[in-house]
Amino acid sequence: MQNVVERVLNLLIYLLESPNPVTSNDIRNTVHGYADQSDEAFHRMFERDKQVLRRLGVPLKLEALDVWEIDEGYTVDPEEYAIPDPKLSQEERLALSVAGRLVRLGGTEAGAGAIIKLGGMERGDGLEPLGADLGEGVEVLGELFGAVTERRKVEFDYRGHVRPVEPYGIAHRRGHWYLVGNTPDGERMYRVDRIRDLTVGETRDAFTKPKGFDIRAVVDSQPWEAGTDPEIETTVRFDAEVSWWAARSLGLPEPTDELTTTVAVANRDAFVGWVLSFGAAAEVMAPQEMRDAVAARVGEALEQSGRSTS
Amino acid sequence: MTSARTVTRLSRILTLIPYVLDRQSADVDEIMERFGYTQEQLTRDLNTIFVCGLPGYGPGDLMEAYMDEDEVIIDAADFFAKAPRLTPSEALGLLAAGMTVIGSGEGSPALESAVSKLSKVVMPDAGTSLTVDVLDQTRNIGVLRDAAADRSVVRIVYRSVGKEETTEREIEPWSVFATLGRWYVLGHCRLVVGQRTFRVDRIKELEVLDETFVRPEAVPEPGVGYSPSKDDVTCLIDLDPAARWVLEYYPVEVVRESKGATRIRFHSPDAEVPARLLLRLGADARLVEGSEVASRVDEIGRALLSRYQ
Repeated sequence: MQNVVERVLNLLIYLLESPNPVTSNDIRNTVHGYADQSDEAFHRMFERDKQVLRRLGVPLKLEALDVWEIDEGYTVDPEEYAIPDPKLSQEERLALSVAGRLVRLGGTEAGAGAIIKLGGMERGDGLEPLGADLGEGVEVLGELFGAVTERRKVEFDYRGHVRPVEPYGIAHRRGHWYLVGNTPDGERMYRVDRIRDLTVGETRDAFTKPKGFDIRAVVDSQPWEAGTDPEIETTVRFDAEVSWWAARSLGLPEPTDELTTTVAVANRDAFVGWVLSFGAAAEVMAPQEMRDAVAARVGEALEQSGRSTS
Repeated sequence: MTSARTVTRLSRILTLIPYVLDRQSADVDEIMERFGYTQEQLTRDLNTIFVCGLPGYGPGDLMEAYMDEDEVIIDAADFFAKAPRLTPSEALGLLAAGMTVIGSGEGSPALESAVSKLSKVVMPDAGTSLTVDVLDQTRNIGVLRDAAADRSVVRIVYRSVGKEETTEREIEPWSVFATLGRWYVLGHCRLVVGQRTFRVDRIKELEVLDETFVRPEAVPEPGVGYSPSKDDVTCLIDLDPAARWVLEYYPVEVVRESKGATRIRFHSPDAEVPARLLLRLGADARLVEGSEVASRVDEIGRALLSRYQ
């Protein structure tokens, strides 16, 4: 590892200091650590070192050296390399370091890498005892976020189907990460941990996001609002014992007694399931077809359970 | 293959250099604390910097880096005047961390302005492209966290998960944490006389009492999981593909997975939890084993049907 660290530092210095793009041959003959290697060994080392540079966040580019595009050379623009200064005050940096330590993503502190680059940790009081875990870090999450910020199109396999998507945003909700984007079939939401074989497009700014798009509005909806059924106004009554809990889920003020309210339902299956999670303490009052849907679901469950035990 | 350790080490070196350059020299202890170095690691990195530089690699080409008593000195490294920009993963991690703490209601104005400044340099419209939602009840989180810090006993009215029963109890809160998209409080429950984890959004009422408690020496790692006890009700259920979401919402054991049905073993303190689940799943699930659960499904199901007839 020591050799790799030294070689990559030397390579990066050479790339930052060269006024023009340099070919892989230039690199091989100039940068300390590559000399005396066979062709094959050099290519292996160089591929690996480029990978390290990219993972460090170094904007390594390959550019044509002449108008006929016969030769290509590598370059790193010093302006692009440098971290833009967010001009954080000491207090702001401290607040960020504490947050970065409290929240875990993929088993490590979510903000550790970024905090180092922003100038290291600040000493300060922790917020213990408080902590949050944003779940398993999915490797594709970083790549997707990069595609969102640079407006690159992506393509991936989702439950056995290839999906081309213009990625608009990323959301963490109820323990999972989601990607929201535009597809040939309209706006869709995908669970990030189910995305396979992701490829990110070469072109930056490959699409425009609709003005006024707000990821928060997309994910704030209830499961029964996100459906394709014709919307149906449904009246439901909750017993006093559960009314506060139902009101909280619906975003209504908490009642002290029973609650009767009307909800717009676009996904009947999801809504029936939610009502039944209250057991006998909730009842759909109207319309009749929604009452029938609840009764039918209960009937199915009774039939299934009768079959298994008789 | 790229080693994550190589990347981490280089990242720290490429940030250390501009930090020291900016100040001409810097205090060894401060550097160690700020960048999380041990003395040995810092010495090794300075020795690495010292042997790298411009092509030619003669004495005038290499960077200077050394410790002079309690100062770190770096020079001849102007090409590294700035740290490399954040990778998308790094930016996402830190922004998500900031948004999570703000969402808990525990964020300070400094954190809010820091997240907004950082968003702007990462992407102009980060605020509308990234959201982290792990909260339901912001006000309770702060109260519980303070109670845990002050070792104050708290009385809560709580609606239990699955069993859907509302009870009043006194708890000794040890820690407040979020996982799987929800906030929890871990502590000793005086009602069941044992360690319990409560979902904060299911706390209906909350009152901090004057009484304090003694926190155990070793508080268990916060986490959400269900450890079965011998008094548990156990049943076997077959889930159709449409009901697979159950695997993500309940701590179940997968017995057998196949293209059609997934068989799970469900443990719970009583038959109420699996019975309600089976009712809401309707034709998408089948109870394979568990007579106590079957009779509970029957009981609740008939009570429900009588309301709808």
